[in-house]
Amino acid sequence: MANNNTVLIKVKRQKDPKSAPYWEEFDIPYRSGMNVISALMDVALNPVTRTGQPTTAIAYDSNCLEEVCGSCAMLINGRTRMACSALVDDLEKPISIEPFTKFPVIRDLQVDRSVLFENLKRVKAWVPVDGTYDLGSGPRLSPVEQEQAYPLSRCISCCCCMEACPQFNEQTGFVGAATISQVRLFNTHPTGKALKTERLRALMGDGGIHECGYAQNCVEVCPKEIPLTQSIAEVGGQVMLQAFRDLLRK
Amino acid sequence: MASAAKVEPASSTHAGVPPLRAGQGIHFWLRKLQSLTGIVPIGAFLLEHFISNAYATNGPHAYNEQVRFLTSLPFVPWLETIGIFLPILFHSLYGFYVWWRGDSNVGPSYPWLGNWMYTAQRWTGIVAFLYMGYHVYTMRFSGVHLMTNSAAAFTKVYEHFQNPLVVAFYFVGIIAASWHFSYGVWLFAAKWGIITGSNGQRKFGYVCAALGVVLVAIGVVTMVAFLTTPAAQVPAVTESLLMH
Repeated sequence: MANNNTVLIKVKRQKDPKSAPYWEEFDIPYRSGMNVISALMDVALNPVTRTGQPTTAIAYDSNCLEEVCGSCAMLINGRTRMACSALVDDLEKPISIEPFTKFPVIRDLQVDRSVLFENLKRVKAWVPVDGTYDLGSGPRLSPVEQEQAYPLSRCISCCCCMEACPQFNEQTGFVGAATISQVRLFNTHPTGKALKTERLRALMGDGGIHECGYAQNCVEVCPKEIPLTQSIAEVGGQVMLQAFRDLLRK
Repeated sequence: MASAAKVEPASSTHAGVPPLRAGQGIHFWLRKLQSLTGIVPIGAFLLEHFISNAYATNGPHAYNEQVRFLTSLPFVPWLETIGIFLPILFHSLYGFYVWWRGDSNVGPSYPWLGNWMYTAQRWTGIVAFLYMGYHVYTMRFSGVHLMTNSAAAFTKVYEHFQNPLVVAFYFVGIIAASWHFSYGVWLFAAKWGIITGSNGQRKFGYVCAALGVVLVAIGVVTMVAFLTTPAAQVPAVTESLLMH
């Protein structure tokens, strides 16, 4: 914090998936309204550390810069959030920036979040409409159903809910809140319902919905304010009913 | 534990949290059985145990009569084994497994109530388990055998409570068990999909908090009854009493 015209950021960096992480500090010229992504862009513009050592630009994922694409999730001052909506003016200084801890680091702040895509595939998080002929238009959603479904459809696959979850780790292999909420979304959909039984049975597998410990960090950190704990409870009830049906009527 | 997933994501070249083992394994049933045993029979027994012990507030005779009633139930060894010991053992051992696999992250980054309660549920479980081990050993498996000498029950507890450390440990044990059970009821309602909305969950949270406070209050009143009974009113445990 040399003066009021610069902002000190500390970035946890890593050259490749196998190497050890290290910290670098940068003094970023202050501009009003800047966010963490623009600070990282400033490093790329002038990749010199605080002590004057030349370095490389920091690798990170980002795209839309308006909290819609889900790319730029990282730990900012220790908490998982989207870097684009993390305004420097609102953050405690110095600002620490780290990659996710529960996803394999590719380089610097870039992590491999493909486990979410894999989980979404395993619960069949889609509406089955493929066929050899035109199936015509599907059933209509009532406005009430639309209002329930829309918040769930806002998920941006950022994985913040999984990073903050004490149960999401290599021992449990927990599927995480985002996938469970997508099960709720597609089980609500009149055509998506066709796969409801398969989705619920998938969530009964190891690492499924029962691994949730209801710490509720997911719903606190979700940048899209998706009612994730409600989704887990609703789908938890659906899974229990399916489990009893399988137990008693199969 | 299920083995590693058959299909790895094409882009994944290194370790990380494995994806869902859809439809594989039995941990769903084990976890749900653990959850259910916490309510029935363990929770039901806990309530019975609090109420039965509260008979101490009606004096040594009433307390001993309640112990006589319980120990005279038919099939007592079976009730104990199938209704209490085995469920508690399963609930605790699987609970240790759940605790060992979770990575509690309560702290400045994730400081919210639910996260604290998640961590507290693990610690209260461990404290309650240690307390129960001591409590069951000293009351059920050593000293005067109450199954056949119910008339010595009040005196046995009274004598234990002469040691302030024991009294303190009982107080801690009662808080841990009450906390663990009350929040367990809340968790059961949420995770089995009975109370799903945030509004309903918040209100039911108050109900469960009240349940916990009431249980601790019953426990404290019961302890006070043992601590304040004058020594002269405590039946002496004599040979003739033990023959009773």
